[in-house]
Amino acid sequence: MARMKFLCDSERCIECNACVTACKNEHEVPWGINRRRLVTLNDGKPGERSISMACMHCNDPPCAAVCPVDCFLQTADGVVLHSKDLCIGCGYCFYACPFGAPQYPRTTDFGSRGKMDKCTFCAGGPEPDGSVEEYQKYGANRLAEGKLPLCAEMCSTRALMAGDGAVLADIYQERSLRRGYGSGAPGWSTAYGRNDRGSPFAPGGPATGGG
Amino acid sequence: MRPLRPLHALLLLIALLAAPTFAQAQLYQVPGPSSPTTREQVPLYVPQDDKVIGRVSIPDEKLAVLVQPEGREWREFRTHTLRLVIGGLAIAVTVILVAFYLYRGTIRIHDGLSGRLVLRFNGLDRFAHWTTAVSFLLMALTGVVLTYGRPLLIPLLGHQAFTTLAETSKSIHNFVSVPFVVGLLMIIALWLRDNIPEKADWTWIKSAGGLFSKAGGHHPEAGRFNAGQKGVFWGVVLGGMAMAATGYLMMVPFAVSGIGGMQILHVIHGLMAALLIAVVIGHIYIGTIGMEGAFDAMGSGEVDENWAIEHHRRWYKEQLRKGYVEDRQPAE
Amino acid sequence: MLVKRSSGKTSRGGLARSLAGSLDSGVSRRGFLRRSGLAAGGIAAVGALPGAMIRKAEAGPVLPNVEVVTRKNVCTHCSVGCTVIAEVQNGVWVGQEPGWESPINQGTHCAKGASVRELTRGTRRVKYPLKLVDGAWQRIGWDQAIEEIGNQLLEIRKASGPDAVFWLGSAKFSNEGAYLYRKLAAFWGTNNVDHQARICHSTTVAGVANTWGYGAMTNSYNDIQNSKALVIVGGNPAEAHPVSMQHMLRGKEHNRAPFIVIDPRFTRTAAHATEYVRIRPGTDIPIAWGLLWHIFENGWEDKEYIRQRVYGMDEIRAEVKKWNPDEVERVTGAPGSQLRRVAEALAKNKPSTVIWCMGVTQHTVGTANVRALSILQLALGNIGVAGGGANIYRGHCNVQGATDFGLDVSTLPAYYGLAEGAWKHFSRVWDVEYDYLKGRFGSKELMEAKGIPTTRWFDAVLAQPGQIDQPSPLRAMMCFGHGGNTVTRMPDMVKGLEKLSLLVVADPHPTTFAAIKERRNGTYILPTCTQFETDGSRTCSNRSMQWGEKVVEPIFESKDDYTIIYLLARKLGFAEPMFKHITVEDTRPVPEDILREMNRGCLAIGATGQSPERLKLHMKHQADFDKITMRATSGPCAGDYYGLPWPSWGHPELKHPGSAVLYDTSRHVMDGGGVFRARFGVERNGVSLLADGSYSKGSEIEDGYPEFTMAVLRKLGWDKDLTAEEMRVIQAIGGKDIDTVSWQTDLSMGIIRVALKHGCVPHGNAKARAVAWNLPDPVPVHREPIYSPRPDLVKAYPAIEDRRDFRLVQLARSLQFRVADSDLRQKFPMVLTSGRLVEYEGGGEETRSNPWLAELQQSMFAEVNSADAERLGIKDGAWVWVYGPEDGSKAKMRALVTERVGSGTVFMPFHFSGFWRGDSLRGNYPPDTDPIVLGEPANGVTTYGYDPVTFMQETKVTLCRVEPA
Repeated sequence: MARMKFLCDSERCIECNACVTACKNEHEVPWGINRRRLVTLNDGKPGERSISMACMHCNDPPCAAVCPVDCFLQTADGVVLHSKDLCIGCGYCFYACPFGAPQYPRTTDFGSRGKMDKCTFCAGGPEPDGSVEEYQKYGANRLAEGKLPLCAEMCSTRALMAGDGAVLADIYQERSLRRGYGSGAPGWSTAYGRNDRGSPFAPGGPATGGG
Repeated sequence: MRPLRPLHALLLLIALLAAPTFAQAQLYQVPGPSSPTTREQVPLYVPQDDKVIGRVSIPDEKLAVLVQPEGREWREFRTHTLRLVIGGLAIAVTVILVAFYLYRGTIRIHDGLSGRLVLRFNGLDRFAHWTTAVSFLLMALTGVVLTYGRPLLIPLLGHQAFTTLAETSKSIHNFVSVPFVVGLLMIIALWLRDNIPEKADWTWIKSAGGLFSKAGGHHPEAGRFNAGQKGVFWGVVLGGMAMAATGYLMMVPFAVSGIGGMQILHVIHGLMAALLIAVVIGHIYIGTIGMEGAFDAMGSGEVDENWAIEHHRRWYKEQLRKGYVEDRQPAE
Repeated sequence: MLVKRSSGKTSRGGLARSLAGSLDSGVSRRGFLRRSGLAAGGIAAVGALPGAMIRKAEAGPVLPNVEVVTRKNVCTHCSVGCTVIAEVQNGVWVGQEPGWESPINQGTHCAKGASVRELTRGTRRVKYPLKLVDGAWQRIGWDQAIEEIGNQLLEIRKASGPDAVFWLGSAKFSNEGAYLYRKLAAFWGTNNVDHQARICHSTTVAGVANTWGYGAMTNSYNDIQNSKALVIVGGNPAEAHPVSMQHMLRGKEHNRAPFIVIDPRFTRTAAHATEYVRIRPGTDIPIAWGLLWHIFENGWEDKEYIRQRVYGMDEIRAEVKKWNPDEVERVTGAPGSQLRRVAEALAKNKPSTVIWCMGVTQHTVGTANVRALSILQLALGNIGVAGGGANIYRGHCNVQGATDFGLDVSTLPAYYGLAEGAWKHFSRVWDVEYDYLKGRFGSKELMEAKGIPTTRWFDAVLAQPGQIDQPSPLRAMMCFGHGGNTVTRMPDMVKGLEKLSLLVVADPHPTTFAAIKERRNGTYILPTCTQFETDGSRTCSNRSMQWGEKVVEPIFESKDDYTIIYLLARKLGFAEPMFKHITVEDTRPVPEDILREMNRGCLAIGATGQSPERLKLHMKHQADFDKITMRATSGPCAGDYYGLPWPSWGHPELKHPGSAVLYDTSRHVMDGGGVFRARFGVERNGVSLLADGSYSKGSEIEDGYPEFTMAVLRKLGWDKDLTAEEMRVIQAIGGKDIDTVSWQTDLSMGIIRVALKHGCVPHGNAKARAVAWNLPDPVPVHREPIYSPRPDLVKAYPAIEDRRDFRLVQLARSLQFRVADSDLRQKFPMVLTSGRLVEYEGGGEETRSNPWLAELQQSMFAEVNSADAERLGIKDGAWVWVYGPEDGSKAKMRALVTERVGSGTVFMPFHFSGFWRGDSLRGNYPPDTDPIVLGEPANGVTTYGYDPVTFMQETKVTLCRVEPA
């Protein structure tokens, strides 16, 4: 069973924002919603690294754990999706998310911040695959078409990778071996560190916690 | 479940400005003596315990935080600690009250009803009280729905119905905060001077307000408000203010603080809620079945003279002195 | 946690199954990745799982039951040439997919490429023709627009002559559009026709062509994967050419190649360097000579290569001797020990490549900079070698092609120049009388005189009649696809704009030109579609030509360049001779026909083999091309290099594969091999200029030889190989004196065919010139910029003498000395330099109108070093005023406090416009066409300074002052 993950090779990432724009393009993401973003560390100094970040689709998603209405679901491939029909826009998932992935259409909570929006790993939402309703709420469902997230498919330097975690790890390790350096997969320990090593991933299992 | 982690989280969150050290960032990307020679040597999972902050070109500065491991602590608080604290305190207080009730029953007016009434709270007083009380109860209830709905209500109602309930609850929670704050301000304006702690309060506290003197009639002397009521007043005023402040800041997320601050706000809000709910349960008990004649103070606003004499003798005397009450005390 | 997953479950499981199946079915995962054609360097090269693995479902992104048509075009932003796959439903571009098969981008994009679909939604596009009447925009029809513009042009022509009109073309044209526009200018009768190459790589073209023959990148982006060391000077490909970085990083990783960045600014590219050398802006020649000093000192140069293939290296040695490490450090700031390390890395890890961009070219010494770096590569023997070369990253998507096809004030298409012979050649190609063309011009002298370049057009508007070497100052500007904020000295530009009697902007967006408030009448905007709404070929930086397919019909009322050019030509009265051999369907000339005419005439650069049929075949069979060599290994294009990078000699039927690496003697000329071009005679001062014992593989002449003419053919006895038909054409061209007919003018291409048959390169086999005696500085010498931050060095390294060229005066030394002797340095203590952002391109109107890009950079900024910021009391993100030393110029923007720039240096991106000295110009744009993001143009504060060879503007070094606003 494939376990879908993202891996951003920070030694390759050049902060070109292709991933961000591809995401906007593919899903017609509105202005102000940043499903994916680029963060530059040590900007302007030797050792500068850029990392493309979005929802990492954690093994044990904190967003799902803290959601008061239990609107998240995890597919068999480990993709973390949510239902905008259930979401009440409380903003808790942003507090819990280690990566700042959840986004909200409005900035104040008087009434509601609107339905949370985040990276879907290009896998749409709970609606039927490829339906107009699904597209309008969550954007395209590439996974159902047998394609992978467009951000990774279009990454200019093949820094951002998406797909089965084992394949990504393979590629990354071989690449690092070949070039002689690699500082690790950003966010992996946080997103996949729990329940990832030793025991195989069990989607929907008790690990998701939070009652 | 790891107890006390929230405190740890708080400490971590306060130290927000931790240097953005990303694991093993090399000066330059060059192979060197430490280059991996086998696949196993290539690091994949690099432990990440510090917050990582960089620079983003988009205006949303909070997104410059790349990784915030503190979310893990907050999650622990939100999913476990908070539920335990609120529920635990509320249940503990309730259990104590039940035990107390069984032990003591309703505290009667020692001398029985005199049939004569003394105005204790005028319309404005009562309006302020009930505005605050009703909005508090609504917020407590809706807060509880949001906190416990997932484990308790979703199995009963299903997801869709619960979302409707939660969404309504959230709106109520947000909007009812306005009357709550209005009520709170009125309470402060009306009752602040009667709630300034004084020496007599100490006596009252030492004798536990006479709660345990089953014989009755042995109440420590008190003014308009006894130490217990003062406790409730200050608890509600200070706690309510804290709740309001943290609550409003959470309604304009990230307006004044980053992610760490938001988590702290939520933690404060949650802990204060737990405390206030417990206090209010006690308050409700004593104001209703706990004590004969107490409810009338906020119900009709008029209390029985004997009740007033027993519980607020000093206040009653003052009322007498001021002529608000007709001196009909039988000669001794 | 929810577990419901209704219909999705099956398909997700389906993908998982298909993945699992593919991995378990006897094909190893790696094998699978390879088979997909993506894994150029093994699994490590692949990021995402390949497209070939996917199972395409019929469900489209928006409308589930409507047919999806896939169209293939090329990104319209930079010169890398990324394939864009468009999914079209009901004539609407609904989805963009990775072009996995493209050997160039292999599915990838940068931010700009990933956003191009928005161009055809075009909410901010110009929707219909507009006319400015008393400061207000009026909607008009196309007929009225062409009629009024044409009438005014004809009036101006009558009163002031054809040279009073400036025809500004675009690097965003297709090749066919560029060629047609040049032809339009020729038929109109002026050489005042230019485009963006003037301001990006004109100095490269001049410098490189004067060194080894052709003005283009010698190798390709892909070929950098063969490099054992890379040095990037004055370039920031991570932002300007992001997709090229995949090849560079693979080269770096696979070969463990040193990756050296030499730049005043610690760029996004420098972040990936193994060595970063910070230099003072404008000191590239001392750096090149400083590197060569170590190379010569240690004997690291390739002596045999120099003996065989380089002319004049000894004169270089003499100059280099002056640049010992101490002097280099004094002038550039780069420590000698570091440069030694860099020199050694380049010399000992061969082949090594030198990459440069506008940080080298946009200087008062741009051409000399280019020549110095070229000479460095010659000394190392790196030119004509796979993995080596001078990899010059061009800017716009078709700036190479637009240059090649003559959008230039100094030449006709294919660098034929402007001499009588060139005009006669093109009169034959165009099948018009030479005298007819001559009659269109003001005079024969003007016909053969270089025109006014785009960097100085406003000087030519503001000039008094006597100050300009043409009968009249400019009175009208026809501006096709060119931003208004891209040239320096904008305060002067605004004055020029105000004085123009006619301004026509043909562009998808109104551009800065239309928003300048000083103009109140006489401006027309013609809505012009993008290259996604038409078809045609474009040439990437590596000389590959790619055919773009029309994705959707031109949106709103816009028309493509071909149609607008035709409509103008028809109105101006020369459509009939101009389109004699080009089919015009309705009012749209057919681009395939235009390309065929180009193929017939552009012999000099070998742009003859790239027929539309071959180009389309390449696009169709992209998957057959190797991802490093770019050569098709199978299929109908087998043996061809992708996009037939010129030279692709001879007729298309000859099936020349194109030349992936220029001047590569290790290959047969019919296999893409080559030698340095014999362009400057055969000897000088008694020294032979021809190659010495070096020749391309299989050459029957095993030594240098001059370019092929009938005389040479006859001398060799090879004229017998010409067919009767070829002889007939040659005789028709040469008349009585057929000996003078050369490979460049022989329209039968017989001479070329015969030369190739004997393994010879038609352009002759010469040495590259380390000394270019025809240039102002035959040996490149360091010259301080006009606004030098080091007045103490000005007298030792002065600018060139004041001179006249391009019909105008060029101030240099007099101005520089005046600046150095004044107190400007005290008033303007910081060095100002400029550059790109990845999200925007050029003048930026198009990209700043695209919400997906605009969101990522919402305000103009100036990078200020944190030490300077501290001293000046500037906070990160706060507003600052940047003051320039000319015209009291100033600009208001945000400060970005950073270590990217060194102390004393300020950097500004040049893509912004729409603010002027603190005021927004948003209201001046036509309704609904104002870009989403506006900002102060960097060129609002840039200053005077031009390269003597091409009039390239100095954008990289001037002085400024920054103050908190």
